[in-house]
Amino acid sequence: MSRLLRRPHLKALPLLAVGWLVAVSTAGLLAPWLPLPFAAGVPDLLHVAEPPSWAAAPQHWLGTDLFGRDVLTELLFGARQVVLLSLPATVLAALIGALAGGSAGFWGNRGCRLPLAAGLVLLAAIWWLIALPGGGQVACLLLAAAALAWWAAPRLLWVGRSAWPLPLDSLFQAAVTLLGAVPRLVLVLALAAGPPLSTGQLLLLLVAVAWPEPARQVRAQMLQVRTLPFVEAARAAGLTTGRIWFRHALPHACRPLRATVPLSLAGLIGLETTLAFLGVGRPPDVSSWGQLLSMLRQEPGAWWLLVSAGGALLFTLLALQQLARSNR
Amino acid sequence: MRRWLLLQLGRAGLAAWATASLVFILSRLLAVGTEDAMLSSGNDLQVRTASTSAVARQALRQRLGLDEPVFYVTRISRNSASWRWHGTHNQYHHWLAGLLHGQLGWSYRDGQPIGPKLRTALVYTLPLAGLAAVAATLVALALGLVLAGGPLAASLTSGRAALHLVLSSLQGIPVFMLALGLLFLFANPDALDLLPAYSLADNPDGLLLGAYLLQLIMPVLTLVLAVLPELALPLAAALRHELRADYVTTARAKGVPAASLLRRHALPNALPPLLTSFASLLPSLLAGTVVVESVFSLPGVGRLLAEAAAAHDYPVVVAGVLVTAGVRLLGLALADALYALADPRIRLAL
Repeated sequence: MSRLLRRPHLKALPLLAVGWLVAVSTAGLLAPWLPLPFAAGVPDLLHVAEPPSWAAAPQHWLGTDLFGRDVLTELLFGARQVVLLSLPATVLAALIGALAGGSAGFWGNRGCRLPLAAGLVLLAAIWWLIALPGGGQVACLLLAAAALAWWAAPRLLWVGRSAWPLPLDSLFQAAVTLLGAVPRLVLVLALAAGPPLSTGQLLLLLVAVAWPEPARQVRAQMLQVRTLPFVEAARAAGLTTGRIWFRHALPHACRPLRATVPLSLAGLIGLETTLAFLGVGRPPDVSSWGQLLSMLRQEPGAWWLLVSAGGALLFTLLALQQLARSNR
Repeated sequence: MRRWLLLQLGRAGLAAWATASLVFILSRLLAVGTEDAMLSSGNDLQVRTASTSAVARQALRQRLGLDEPVFYVTRISRNSASWRWHGTHNQYHHWLAGLLHGQLGWSYRDGQPIGPKLRTALVYTLPLAGLAAVAATLVALALGLVLAGGPLAASLTSGRAALHLVLSSLQGIPVFMLALGLLFLFANPDALDLLPAYSLADNPDGLLLGAYLLQLIMPVLTLVLAVLPELALPLAAALRHELRADYVTTARAKGVPAASLLRRHALPNALPPLLTSFASLLPSLLAGTVVVESVFSLPGVGRLLAEAAAAHDYPVVVAGVLVTAGVRLLGLALADALYALADPRIRLAL
């Protein structure tokens, strides 16, 4: 261990950060099976809002909250929100962002052309699926036209050449502009204002507001990567465009994500705890660090809540920043 | 430049309308249990049978205008899916028409019109956000100049490195943590009991200016700390970039002192690219007031929005989204004016 610390690239600070993050995720994953003295969500009504007690019989090591629940238990179960909600949301958002931003940057507005036959089939499918007037007949007509176009493509020159350009970049920019019209917190508040959301719904909501950030970075990087000689070389070697995009260009375009994914995880943890702090979108019995901290509004003198939940949140965010800094 | 601004404003306006419409339609479609929640919260003591509850629910739906279809068309899928056209008798059309007449709708909770509500809330929010915007800009300019150092300070000194570390650490901290920390440090009878934490609403009319400002210190400080890193750090980076340029070397060779070199030569060149981030300052301050006003219990727009979201009061939430989007439009226009002020090429071309 001491030899590990002496090695120049393994300083104490990154090690500490990684250690804390590992501890938080272990606690979050294993919380229901840990041998805790108090069950989660069960109030100890004799000891409500008490500071930590180490000597007396009911040993609430970190005190109790305003409902009489054990703070240590709530803290460990609150880590579940980080592991099971914020982390998957960040990973999904990074994946979607990489695919969307990568394709918008690689093909632009005119690069991706849909052959006439494929376009007609797509149109028929959409027509039939959303049941526009005349559903079945129009879809059949479109399919027949698609078959005709497919038959004619190698025979008639103008049919073979005609293709519909997909304005990928414009679609991407429109989606990003739409999601950027109001700050993220306000958008999430507005969309979560309904009846309490389940974990899956909240996950989807967080992904929906988080994907533009990685997508913009990947798109900017992709605009540079696609002009590099190795992409041209791959094209000259006869690889298909899809393969060049996925196997060669995209891994390079995703490089900035290594440093920014920890930061966007920190951002989503902040967003999720803010929602819980404001009491929006989650049922009140879900343990969360934000909910523990929100009790400080009713009981401003409860220093043990600030120290434990606030400290856990602060250390997690700082550790993620440290991770981002050492990934740069 | 004018065309660029018009394009930007048009896009932002379109996005604002689309976002508000999306929130409106989603809230009306997804919230099937609204009237149940209102009925159960409103009159707990009434003994209700199934039939009276159904009647009451129908009456409430009618009063809130929820018995009309949500949008112009509805998709019905009884045996074969098809679309049905409702004409202008739908909730979205009424909302949009009211909006164009300046009528934002009525709150679900107390039935009051939202316009006056927002106006009284803005009286508290505007000074708060305005003060925070001015203070954050000034402090960010000062910190950016300090962080950039002189033209001769090639490497970061330990003091600047520490400042940089503190600022970049502040970047990820949620606003409510900052607010709670300040509250705990400065308004706690056990620690330093320096500043008042109680609400402005306790004493609405007989408020002295001094007491009013004293109460605004902590909220403004929280907002400034929350937006400071995203303003100061890019400014410092841009200044350091400018200090490496040739014209700086020339100016130094001519004997321009370091301080005036930084302020009069490097700063005007470093500022214009950063004005886009100044444009997003106003909306992010407004998002910050959602949290800050909840913590310090100020009766402003942010707290109105947070409480409406917690109480499923959709008309108020949609109005809050519209106000925020409007503030973003204002920020864009303001950034454009500043751009013209900062860049003489644009100023002279007008």
